[in-house]
Amino acid sequence: MADPRRYFDEIELGEEYESPGRTVTEADVVMFAGLSGDYNVLHTDAEFMKTTIFGERIAHGLLCLAIQSGLFSRATAPYATLAFGGLRWKFKLPVKIGDTIRLRAKVIEKKDLDKPDRGLVTLERTILNQRDEIVQQGQTDLVVQKRS
Amino acid sequence: MTAARTYFEDIVVDRVQLTPAITVTEAHVAMYQGLTREVPLESSDVPDVLPLCMAIGLGWRVKDPPMVVQAFVGLDWKVMKELRVGDTMHSRSRIVSKRALRDGGLVVDERTILDQHGEVVQQGKFTFLVAKRQKEASA
Repeated sequence: MADPRRYFDEIELGEEYESPGRTVTEADVVMFAGLSGDYNVLHTDAEFMKTTIFGERIAHGLLCLAIQSGLFSRATAPYATLAFGGLRWKFKLPVKIGDTIRLRAKVIEKKDLDKPDRGLVTLERTILNQRDEIVQQGQTDLVVQKRS
Repeated sequence: MTAARTYFEDIVVDRVQLTPAITVTEAHVAMYQGLTREVPLESSDVPDVLPLCMAIGLGWRVKDPPMVVQAFVGLDWKVMKELRVGDTMHSRSRIVSKRALRDGGLVVDERTILDQHGEVVQQGKFTFLVAKRQKEASA
């Protein structure tokens, strides 16, 4: 069977992808609180949150960051990724229960690494909500295998 | 009586805190994958963002009262080493800097995830917007 993964050599600077949307539900927020252990009132106390500028519980920033990571795999064919290097990220707007988010990603840099069999691909990733507002944005570094 | 909390004014630069440890299990990975659909790399069995998510929860399980975080502003993060199912991670936090704003203040918290051998797995900086005491009192 043909290898569906895309190698460093095949990924082009400026390529852009957009994922399907994903509605962030109360169940997502509750599950993420249980999984991560982050029970901060921002995400778990509906009554307290009525008294804040948000007016209601908001999704964990890291939940949306984790969801976009999954959305990336639904936006494009998988890369031949050897390692995840890191990220630089800004949380710009809250995501509320019932909001629908999607990911837009663009290849903004490709760099050779010391080891000749791999290169670094930097993607700019933008999470948008149903009103096309930018809720999170940042850059992620992936170490991707070369074909040759 | 309200629970004790740490406001912007109470935060001490260079203060280091260690969290309890947690063993990363198949159950964590299964739940995480169901929730996010993030696929681990071929070489690994733990998706890379999962330890980061677990580190933020561990961050609340320290001796100091919880910081009154109003927003998570940003994140600068590096992955040094893969974590595997069965590894036991804990995290270390060090306050790098604080800067007062009109409402609240920005706090930069360096977090390091370590495994059971004391090796650094992931490391980076969280920026939080933390409430000031006065504002809360007069609200």
